[in-house]
Amino acid sequence: MTKLTINNKPVDVAEGTTVLNAARSAGIEIPTLCEHPHLTPYGGCRLCLVDVEGARTLQPSCTLPVTEGMVVKTDTDKVLAARKFVLTLIFSERNHFCPFCQVSGGDCELQNAAYREGMTHWPLQPNWQPFPVDASHPYIVMENNRCILCRRCVRACGELVGNFTLGFEERGARSLLVADLGVPLGSSSCISCGSCVQVCPTGALIDRWSAYRGKETQVEKTQSVCTGCSIGCGIDVLVRDNNLVRIEGNWDAELNEGVLCKIGRFEPLAEDRNRLLTPQVRKDGKLKAATWEEAFEMIQSKFSPLVGKKGDGVAALVSSGLPLESLNAFKKLYSDYFQSGMVTTTEEGEYTAAASAFARSTGKSFEGSLADVQKADLAIVFGVDLVKEHEVIGFFIKRNIPNGTKLVVVDPATNTLDLLADVTLKSGKSVEANLVHGITAAVISAGAAKNTDIRVSEAHLKTAILESGVSNNELSKVVDLIKSADNCILVYGKGISDEALKQIVHLAEVTQAKVIGTRGGANSLAASQLGLDSRIKLNGHQAVFAAFGNEDPSQYLIQQLEKAPFLVVQAAYGSALTARADVVLPSFTCLEQDGTFVNFEGKIQQSKKSMTAPEGTKSDHEILTSLAGLFGQKLDTDWKKSITANPAPVTIQG
Amino acid sequence: MAKPKVSSDWMAGCSGCHMSFLDIDERIATVLDLIDLRSSPITDLKHPDESGVDVGILEGGINNTSNEEVAHRMRQRSKILVALGDCAVFGGVPAMRNFFTIEESLRRAYIETESTDSSGKIPDDPELCVPTRVRALQEVVPVDVFVPGCPPDADTIFFALSELAQGRIPVLKDKNLSWQ
Repeated sequence: MTKLTINNKPVDVAEGTTVLNAARSAGIEIPTLCEHPHLTPYGGCRLCLVDVEGARTLQPSCTLPVTEGMVVKTDTDKVLAARKFVLTLIFSERNHFCPFCQVSGGDCELQNAAYREGMTHWPLQPNWQPFPVDASHPYIVMENNRCILCRRCVRACGELVGNFTLGFEERGARSLLVADLGVPLGSSSCISCGSCVQVCPTGALIDRWSAYRGKETQVEKTQSVCTGCSIGCGIDVLVRDNNLVRIEGNWDAELNEGVLCKIGRFEPLAEDRNRLLTPQVRKDGKLKAATWEEAFEMIQSKFSPLVGKKGDGVAALVSSGLPLESLNAFKKLYSDYFQSGMVTTTEEGEYTAAASAFARSTGKSFEGSLADVQKADLAIVFGVDLVKEHEVIGFFIKRNIPNGTKLVVVDPATNTLDLLADVTLKSGKSVEANLVHGITAAVISAGAAKNTDIRVSEAHLKTAILESGVSNNELSKVVDLIKSADNCILVYGKGISDEALKQIVHLAEVTQAKVIGTRGGANSLAASQLGLDSRIKLNGHQAVFAAFGNEDPSQYLIQQLEKAPFLVVQAAYGSALTARADVVLPSFTCLEQDGTFVNFEGKIQQSKKSMTAPEGTKSDHEILTSLAGLFGQKLDTDWKKSITANPAPVTIQG
Repeated sequence: MAKPKVSSDWMAGCSGCHMSFLDIDERIATVLDLIDLRSSPITDLKHPDESGVDVGILEGGINNTSNEEVAHRMRQRSKILVALGDCAVFGGVPAMRNFFTIEESLRRAYIETESTDSSGKIPDDPELCVPTRVRALQEVVPVDVFVPGCPPDADTIFFALSELAQGRIPVLKDKNLSWQ
């Protein structure tokens, strides 16, 4: 511990703490601009200057580590004058005259800093140099005239997301925020995660969907969980008069620590599908608006004769993005009451079937968590493009690459991560069990196995290496990486075969690595635990009930379901399938209902209602329980028992 | 103590700050009890007394030689000069034309506007004032009190005026500086 005094107050902090954080821990506020708690200190704006006894000049507190006996003053006339001067220089550098701006009025940190110092004017006028505005991006506007060169965005892009798109060109007052080598942001390597927008202290990077839709003081903020995929990132949903203004990453969320991807941050804002507002029923070949009673009556009359028919009754499909309460009700209604043999999710267990089969056969959990991804120094990725899906897992791997984390990509298809990989192994048509087995064999035969209990014959190893489908040279590169890694993770995603997964788990045992299964939709794991993970086979079924929630049905699903003799679609938005349906039931979106979600690492989280659904729609759970009511059924709501009945690939908790 | 003499005038602005001043409603009677309003753009007399006033208030930035004259006259004749509103304090919306040359601005205004036909012409009468770069008031003459806002809130104007009327220099902070 190091002792120092700040404003005559004795402070005791851990060695290496910055003066800024020491002051904060003592409840002394120092204004900052370029500093951000989640980014490496940069010391660029000089607003946090403090007076250190014995130092020749004022010192930036954000980069200055404490030393024993240090005497710091944060409120001397000299410091206050320096702050005003720093702000004067920042204001005079570019055009910061913003009568109205997305961030103006409480959210602009530059404006707030000036208010805090009681500045009524700028002693120096701007030089009126126009800088370019880049509005080429679908979600983000880059306004260099508002930029204060704090480089928070550059640091967020690299340190939080590992994308390294943003950077600066030119020097001094001509410094310019650019994407890649000066290309328009819209055609750059930007992956639209929006982290730069979230950290920008001014309006230099604004979200074009939410800009000018409401100031900080006019919006309601709800802390919730993203339901875009199985990671379950913490989000803050900002709503004004029941209009979605913006979604931000929750800095305090343990999982994602403020980072979000495009799917979580921007896609709900850019939603342009038709919202379904009333039930519809097909009469005389035409789909017409109807009451809930009419819709339910139609379903009841069609479904009643189908109760108890396993192979030719009601086939039921549900999106894995629905809350667990609804998934559970869905399963109880169709599997238990209707006894249908075809009850599954729209992702057909592609992400989960192999893992749950493996967990059931061994009777135990075998997978790691996002925390393991964070600390991994070697990631071997099997057939999943983490730049295109489950992006936050990808961010956590990519952002550690500059710190020495190695990456191996095993994917016969082109994978965006290939460019960053130290080794890419490409063979066969999907992730082949032989290839994974070959890696394991190569590790054992090189004496690099961390688990020494494993005994295999030399001949067996030789055959396995020969059958791997990749060259010895490539295998030995991977073995070298495994040898020098302390925390290895093996990440797999969609479409992994039972055999390949078995080999991945075996490789993990040999190398003492953690296996990470990305899974699919927000409740993919829970759906699989409920047994909703078989392939869709509709032949012979007389009716299909599909609950999509927010999901946009894929072409494949549309082709499959179009032929259904009687189709009921429960969804929030219109699609080719709602147009084809015989009954349409309008449901809430994820933002409009509370719900439980189990993320890919088994963490049980609650998504909170942040908006009020339009009149005439019902929550997924309400629709399903009403349907059950038609048949005199009361559904068991104990979802916890249902999802923990069988061993899961990860421990379900929380 | 005699009532302090106050004069106001406007330059390159939209007159919104004076409208916001009128927004103080019945409190205007209180203000007029405390001050002697000598001249303003919204009263009969337009120019401050040659013998001088105590407080001069200017709205708007300075974008031509005529505004310069107004600013210098007010500065010469007042003991305390107040820059009222964002245009006077910062340059404001008119200052956005500083991103272009004056020739470009004039061409856009008099020749290239959609409603102008081929007879459009940039006025060049020698009696007209000459457009300049848009400047904040403090770039032309020294300013004593800054009241920012677009426009400043009526409450802020009332606070500033009542402080001045009672012989104090107003210190704007908190709600008077940033209202949300």
